[in-house]
Amino acid sequence: MTQNYIDLDVRPILRNGGEPFAEIMKAVSSLAPDQGLRLYATFKPVPLFQVLGKKGYSHAEKEIGGGDWEILFQPAKTGQQPAQNAKAAPDTENADTTDWPEPAQHMDNRDLDPPEPMVRVLGAVEKMKPGEVLSALLCRKPMFLFPELQSRGHTWHGAFEPDGTTYKILIRVGGAKPATH
Amino acid sequence: MFGVTLSRWSMTYFAAALCALMFGETLMVAGYGFPSNSVSDPQTLILVHVIVIGWLSLLLCGALFQFVPVLVARPLYSNMLPLPALIFLLAGLTALLLGFLQIAGTIDMRPPLLPFAALLLVAGFVIVLWNLACTLWPARPLPLPARFVAIALLSLAATVFFGFIFSFVLTLPIESEILLRVTAAGLPLHAVAGIGGWLTFAAMGVSYRLLAMFMLAPELDGTRPRAALWLGTAALGVIILGGLALLLYGQHILPALVFGGVLGLGALALYGADIAHLYRARKRRIIELNSQMAVAAFVMLGLSVLLGIVLIALGILSEHVGALVFLIVFGWLSGLGLAKLYKIVAFLTWLESYGPVLGKSATPRVQDLVIEKHARKWFALFFVAVLAATIALLVSQPLAFRAAVGATLIATIAIAAQLVRARLLRDVPLQTRLPDIVRRPHLLFSVPAKR
Repeated sequence: MTQNYIDLDVRPILRNGGEPFAEIMKAVSSLAPDQGLRLYATFKPVPLFQVLGKKGYSHAEKEIGGGDWEILFQPAKTGQQPAQNAKAAPDTENADTTDWPEPAQHMDNRDLDPPEPMVRVLGAVEKMKPGEVLSALLCRKPMFLFPELQSRGHTWHGAFEPDGTTYKILIRVGGAKPATH
Repeated sequence: MFGVTLSRWSMTYFAAALCALMFGETLMVAGYGFPSNSVSDPQTLILVHVIVIGWLSLLLCGALFQFVPVLVARPLYSNMLPLPALIFLLAGLTALLLGFLQIAGTIDMRPPLLPFAALLLVAGFVIVLWNLACTLWPARPLPLPARFVAIALLSLAATVFFGFIFSFVLTLPIESEILLRVTAAGLPLHAVAGIGGWLTFAAMGVSYRLLAMFMLAPELDGTRPRAALWLGTAALGVIILGGLALLLYGQHILPALVFGGVLGLGALALYGADIAHLYRARKRRIIELNSQMAVAAFVMLGLSVLLGIVLIALGILSEHVGALVFLIVFGWLSGLGLAKLYKIVAFLTWLESYGPVLGKSATPRVQDLVIEKHARKWFALFFVAVLAATIALLVSQPLAFRAAVGATLIATIAIAAQLVRARLLRDVPLQTRLPDIVRRPHLLFSVPAKR
């Protein structure tokens, strides 16, 4: 297991409306091969997981109260996960999108009455080819959509954007084995 | 499992709740309980508990099993536990009513049933609380509406605690001075914890979220709703815990009621401002019947506050407390409950029937499951009749009161009939009803999709 972590707290930058990406990448590039990064943020930085995942870092995140998150990034080649944090990730069905194609279709459903966003997403998904990706913007986490996507065998990855109000979901059509009814 | 599926037994709770409401209204039309009997007579206690446990608590439990998971973005801890809970609650309510009939001398049988009723109700509510607490606990830190619900659940526990003590002290030879004191003077604490803490606080929390959702208004999470939460929590703490402490030290609970009442008024004022803001800031200009009728319920809440203040200022609150409680319970809680039920039943039925075929076939919209113009006049009748009944109580006209409640009964039956039609897809246009693919849902329970 990684023995030590460099701590980086980007919450002040985020609270001042700043963009901490450069700061984070600077910290990552300064890490020794066996060093990890302990990051503190005001939201779960899902896009960063992919960026650092490509650089060979695994991640384990946990919510630490007040809406803040602690994320441990460590070099994946050590082959060990920080087990104590493994259960903290709530979006267990959030797919890894690193090998997904660019979205074939984009929709902005933020101004639609519920359940119209769900109706449109499922309508679009049914017309798309297997493997294609739909990108949709919603104004809340689509709790009733997830079971429908699951039972139809689609995979998805969703998270709130940094603005905290827009929920962006990427859906890959027919990417998983359909559940039996 | 990920996401939120249908709550299996919520429809059962709703059906039982509506039956209890109609039963309670029938009792009032027949002149049973208040105002023919005094506020504390067993007949009135029967009436009150049919309404607050049978109607409002079952309605709220059914709604929370479906919407707490939406509030915290986690599945319900158990989709099966609500059934045994419902059986315990209905058995407990029946035993409670029989127990009150024993006290009234209407039925003569042994042993006294109130302690059994209390045990059954405790069992039912403990299962409900356990299920919802296990859903909420892992979701901490809770979003604001869920915090209201959490406080409401604590208040429910307090309400049941007081009722439990009352039932034993009233029927068994208990000589503990403390328990006798709690029973002699603790009724206002039981009532405030139940109507103010459990029912009103939960309705406030759920309404923050549902109104924002149905009217496309921004989710409120700023200083004012947080202040409403803290002031309201402080009010309940002062009245329930402070009042209990005063009772235990042999003091009168009035200071706790007054101080807590002032805090509670502050919380309601902030809540009112928030609700007004939600309606003004909504993106959806034309709102559905449920949101329109919710406005009527909010007006009733405002009128209840005004009536309370006027009665206190004139020094006649104790004479008219029945009218005030009637307005709160029927105008505010029942009005909001019926309005939201009109949306919830249609939405859940739509999801159950058409969710699996969305995108694969032309499906009706949620709004196609109901015909608002048929329901609107009954909602209007309900609210007007509640106001008329309240006025009849204030001017001591029991016959006019019974007639007005008769009108609420007619309105309730008509609204219930609309809900049954929605549930059975009766109002969906034939060309989109899809009889071949779509399985019509069962009237009394839901079948979540298998995973």
